[in-house]
Amino acid sequence: MWYGIGNTGLPNPAAAFVEVLGDATANLMFGAADIGQGSGTTMTQIAAEALGLSYEKVRVTWGDTRVTPDGGATSASRQTLITGNAVLKACEQAKETLAGVAAAYLGCQPEELEFSQNTVTKIDDATVTMTYKTLMAEMKAAGKMAVGAGYYNPTTTTLDPNDMSGIPYEVYSYATTICEVEVDTETGEVDVLKVVSAHDVGQTINQSMAEGQIEGGVVMGQGFVLMEEIEVSEKDGSIKNPIFSKYIIPSNLDVPEIYPILVESEGGPGPFGAKGVGEPALIPIIPAIVAAIEDALNVQFTKLPVFPKDIVAAVKEKEAADKNKNN
Amino acid sequence: MNKISISLNLNGTDRTILVYPNRRVVDLLREDFKLTSVKEGCSEGECGACTVIFNGDAVTTCCMLAGQADQSTIITLEGLAKDGELDLLQQCFLDEGAVQCGYCTPGMILAAKALLLKNQSPTEAQIKLAMSGNLCRCTGYQKIHAAVKSAVVIYKDKMAQGGESID
Repeated sequence: MWYGIGNTGLPNPAAAFVEVLGDATANLMFGAADIGQGSGTTMTQIAAEALGLSYEKVRVTWGDTRVTPDGGATSASRQTLITGNAVLKACEQAKETLAGVAAAYLGCQPEELEFSQNTVTKIDDATVTMTYKTLMAEMKAAGKMAVGAGYYNPTTTTLDPNDMSGIPYEVYSYATTICEVEVDTETGEVDVLKVVSAHDVGQTINQSMAEGQIEGGVVMGQGFVLMEEIEVSEKDGSIKNPIFSKYIIPSNLDVPEIYPILVESEGGPGPFGAKGVGEPALIPIIPAIVAAIEDALNVQFTKLPVFPKDIVAAVKEKEAADKNKNN
Repeated sequence: MNKISISLNLNGTDRTILVYPNRRVVDLLREDFKLTSVKEGCSEGECGACTVIFNGDAVTTCCMLAGQADQSTIITLEGLAKDGELDLLQQCFLDEGAVQCGYCTPGMILAAKALLLKNQSPTEAQIKLAMSGNLCRCTGYQKIHAAVKSAVVIYKDKMAQGGESID
């Protein structure tokens, strides 16, 4: 599977603010809403890495429209790429001021310095070094402030309405999902036994969270194939099964063994080369499960979900067809 | 309708409160006692978000009326951490990355806690069964299982070294 990251062929920027304070901690602010995928952690990690501060030194405020800049929607697998780059740009701006002051103090050029682990060090001479706290004292003495604002809009073009040509996405995520299923031909029940889901995430920012996204996506996709169907009333358009006793989603007894694999490709426009995995995590398991059922039964399914009754019907139909062929 | 007096042991403290008899326990806990770790999800006992430990069992409080809580012992997530130190299960959920949006987390932890209070070395199948009433849409359940299994292992080690009991 390959899947575009960000809104399709439309501008969809996001922004971030940062300030490094006198005690060598930073305030980071961005609009991106964390709905459990972990963008708060991801952006904090990106800022810490970019500023050379340890993770604990970065305080984050997100999704508060009184103070944070717009981050656009948490959708389209876009926040790591877009808000991530905005955070990086904001930090680079703050760092430009910091590097100028540090270079003057250490007697070298700003581009010769490395910011890492709450310390500023000359890249080719580790003895030329200062702590971040010393740097912030120098900043104070010089009357300078380490602030940065950044925004990022992925490079896309609108699509030509005649032939849909253009550049809909700046970057794509790639994934392959393999699964093993057991199909009970008598009852039509499908057990998803094992799933291996490999995703090119560009650069992993947080391994545990990226794996969590993939595992969650696999199970949501499993539900989409085997269990979940919104029933709509033909009379008034209302949803007939808006409750969990009628709309069954996978429980922990349904889930397979899941083996997420993170593949790191080089480069790409995202922060440190990172790309989104939110939607890519969900999508490839869907055709993978259907293909596995088809492989087991040698029949084809052309609509979702594939319920036990559909499998029993398909098995019977195939048996009848095979019988006719043999007669 | 007249209010009734409910007395219960809530997170280790004896409490008495006057409530209408048709008040649900989830509302009693969230609104009257301000224990907002108790989440309301489906309101029909299917999702497990409002799980608490009620007289030693994991139960869904959206389907219970206040009268049922009289003379009971209830533990919510707020009752697990002691002296600022997280319960072993809470720590394992953190360490394993078992929390995403977090809405199912209090119920998940309490379902696991209720199991471990009764059975300190559960099998994998017993863990799964005990937590099967708690739905999660984010995690795919893998890291939640890893967290509970890890807690079981750590707890066994602690007991082998003469540690304290699980409660």
